[in-house]
Amino acid sequence: MSILETRNVTKRFGGLSAVDRVTVEIPEGSIYSIIGPNGAGKTTLFNCITGFYPADQGDILFLDQSLMGLSPDRITQRGISRTYQNIRLFPAMTALENILVGAHPRLKSNLVDAFLHTPRQRTEEKEALEKAQDLLNFVGLKGKGDLLASGLPYGEQRRLEMARAMANEPKIILLDEPTAGMNPNESRSMMRFIQNLRDELGITILLIEHDMKVVMGISEFIYVLDFGQLIAKGTPEEIQKNPQVIESYLGRGAA
Amino acid sequence: MNDQLKENARSGLIFGVVILFLMLFGLTTTLSDIIGDLFNLPSQTRTGNSSGLMVVLALIALWTGSRASSADRSNFRNGLAGSAVTGFVVGGIVSGFILLVGSLDAANVEMRDYLAQLDRQSVQFLLYGRSLWVGVLITLCIFVVFGILGALLSYFFETRQAGVKLQTQYLKIKESFLDVSFVARLREHPQAKWILYGFLLAIVLVMPQMLGKYWNYAMGTVGIYVLMGLGLNIVVGLAGLLDLGYVAFFAIGAYTAGLLTSPAPITIQWNFWPVLIISIMLAALAGILLGIPVLRMRGDYLAIVTLGFGEIIRVLIRSDMMAPYLGGPQGVRDIAGPSIFGLSLATEKGYLYMIILAILLTILFTTYLQNSRVGRAWMAMREDETVAQAMGINTLTYKLMAFATGAAFAGLGGALFAARNQYTGPADHTLMVSVNVLCLIIVGGMGSIPGVIIGAFVLKGLPEILRELDQYRLLVFGALLVIMMIIRPEGIWPAPRRKMELHDKNLDGPPPQTSVVGNEG
Repeated sequence: MSILETRNVTKRFGGLSAVDRVTVEIPEGSIYSIIGPNGAGKTTLFNCITGFYPADQGDILFLDQSLMGLSPDRITQRGISRTYQNIRLFPAMTALENILVGAHPRLKSNLVDAFLHTPRQRTEEKEALEKAQDLLNFVGLKGKGDLLASGLPYGEQRRLEMARAMANEPKIILLDEPTAGMNPNESRSMMRFIQNLRDELGITILLIEHDMKVVMGISEFIYVLDFGQLIAKGTPEEIQKNPQVIESYLGRGAA
Repeated sequence: MNDQLKENARSGLIFGVVILFLMLFGLTTTLSDIIGDLFNLPSQTRTGNSSGLMVVLALIALWTGSRASSADRSNFRNGLAGSAVTGFVVGGIVSGFILLVGSLDAANVEMRDYLAQLDRQSVQFLLYGRSLWVGVLITLCIFVVFGILGALLSYFFETRQAGVKLQTQYLKIKESFLDVSFVARLREHPQAKWILYGFLLAIVLVMPQMLGKYWNYAMGTVGIYVLMGLGLNIVVGLAGLLDLGYVAFFAIGAYTAGLLTSPAPITIQWNFWPVLIISIMLAALAGILLGIPVLRMRGDYLAIVTLGFGEIIRVLIRSDMMAPYLGGPQGVRDIAGPSIFGLSLATEKGYLYMIILAILLTILFTTYLQNSRVGRAWMAMREDETVAQAMGINTLTYKLMAFATGAAFAGLGGALFAARNQYTGPADHTLMVSVNVLCLIIVGGMGSIPGVIIGAFVLKGLPEILRELDQYRLLVFGALLVIMMIIRPEGIWPAPRRKMELHDKNLDGPPPQTSVVGNEG
């Protein structure tokens, strides 16, 4: 059964179709990738799915329910999380607080609870802190919970962003270039981490990635975008042999 | 060497112009008066005895001298020559000014037409009561001699090579005094913290008994500003919404309390306590109503719209149209005070205790709030609104909540303020109130509770103590804000996180964030 599905999604900026009639289907519990050259429309597709850009045409289905017209916060509450290509943590908040913000949709205490410090709020807060601590340990940031997010090194910021995305217990996480700016060693450990995410927690992964080693290494299925259009799809082996993909990556005549 | 002297001359020029500016405002004269009072010198401006002025100028010269020599500490002689040059330039400018005013005065030109400060008496004062050239010479001498003395003094305290080292040492000691040894030690020993709190609480509770009527009143005003500062701190410091119309909610609280307890212009005379609750609720409601159309805007736009809202409320309560209901320019009189079990609390002392209680409750609430789901959502919005929304936070609702919460505290402050003065009118609700509250947050330390309290004391309490300086309040405000932004942007007592943020030496931070949503497709 597919967990996330886009049907002929189109997003135009002026006369330019950044995403042009793209149809993808992501089964539950899988690791899928979207690749394509710079400017192919990958992040725009992410932004359409997460509600930042309303899609002009088509439909987006999550667990067979349409996401069209929902605001980003409502979409997140349904169980879709994402990370950003250029890490976007809350810089002046601590690592732990970043994760706790991520857990926002899962928690319930409101303004009155906060004011009066009700027992309900206190138990919830305690539980949330424990879970956040667990997540922090899970991404290998044990003991760094009280540091400001902006003070962490690059690689750890990436992992913190993942932990934040996991905090609301999503069903699917959209990862936008999780290994950008990493050396091969770091990339490899990030790959293992993503695989763990799926294997241990059963979270579906949709990935935008430039590093072909990573893409071919962990993806079960790949969609290729170029100039906003879907030009190919298939398993890593099929994509590697696809002449159209090679052409769009290396230019005409290379194939 | 030559360049160095040129540099010194240039800084002398800047110092000179600044001092000239202050003299034109009459600040040096006021300072002389204060120094005269302090050291029991003969009364200054009135008798024309200028010993206080000499002290002021000498102090300024000392400071200029030590600043000038700090540019080049490696060479003793250069430093001295440098500060002599600076002193000479500053002295030249100031004495040139005195020469100009003095000779104009001798030629019987009436200068008060141009500058209110310059009457004949104050010119005589600037000349130390002597003849023109002697006065000018004295000024020049003061600046050169004390300039060099300042340089010597700064050498005395910081030997040549160790100069820089000593300074960093000094900073370290300062840091450790404020943070490491004190705050961190408190953190290690939670019991000590409680003892300290108890001690502070005891002082606060005993204070109204010790102070007189006047000081209880003055402290009450400071307290109301603390209350409003804590409220605005939620809106600006936590949620990051720049609200320049905060006075509007203060006015709504004050007028609600006033109208519902006074005999005129509306003949409702309810008990104070339910009215206090109504004032708070109405202010919060106004926060929501204003917020709904306005909060889609971000940053500067929001500031401008809220500024306008504050003015609208002020104009409304002044207007003749609303005068039958709100009292117009005369305002609302005979506002009733509170009582408990027939015991009237309507004394300076009673109000001060009420205000203290309100502050304590507010501190408790805001502390809880900061460490809650709601507080974190606000902070996230402040940091990055787009991503906060992607975390599942309904940004519009949370902004409204922040606005309403902040407004509620302003309403509380307004109600207490009106009841204490037994009067409220349009003059109580000017833009200056918003500016004051915002300033005290910035000076004290954005997002920090002790910072707000210190800020309120500095900006509202000090002017009460230094009455003579009252007319320079705005000048001092401006200068204080500029100085704070340069030397201590995080405020006097900053929130720990903000301090970490501004003084973080870790350069491994993320690349600057450019686009609203990821920029590559």
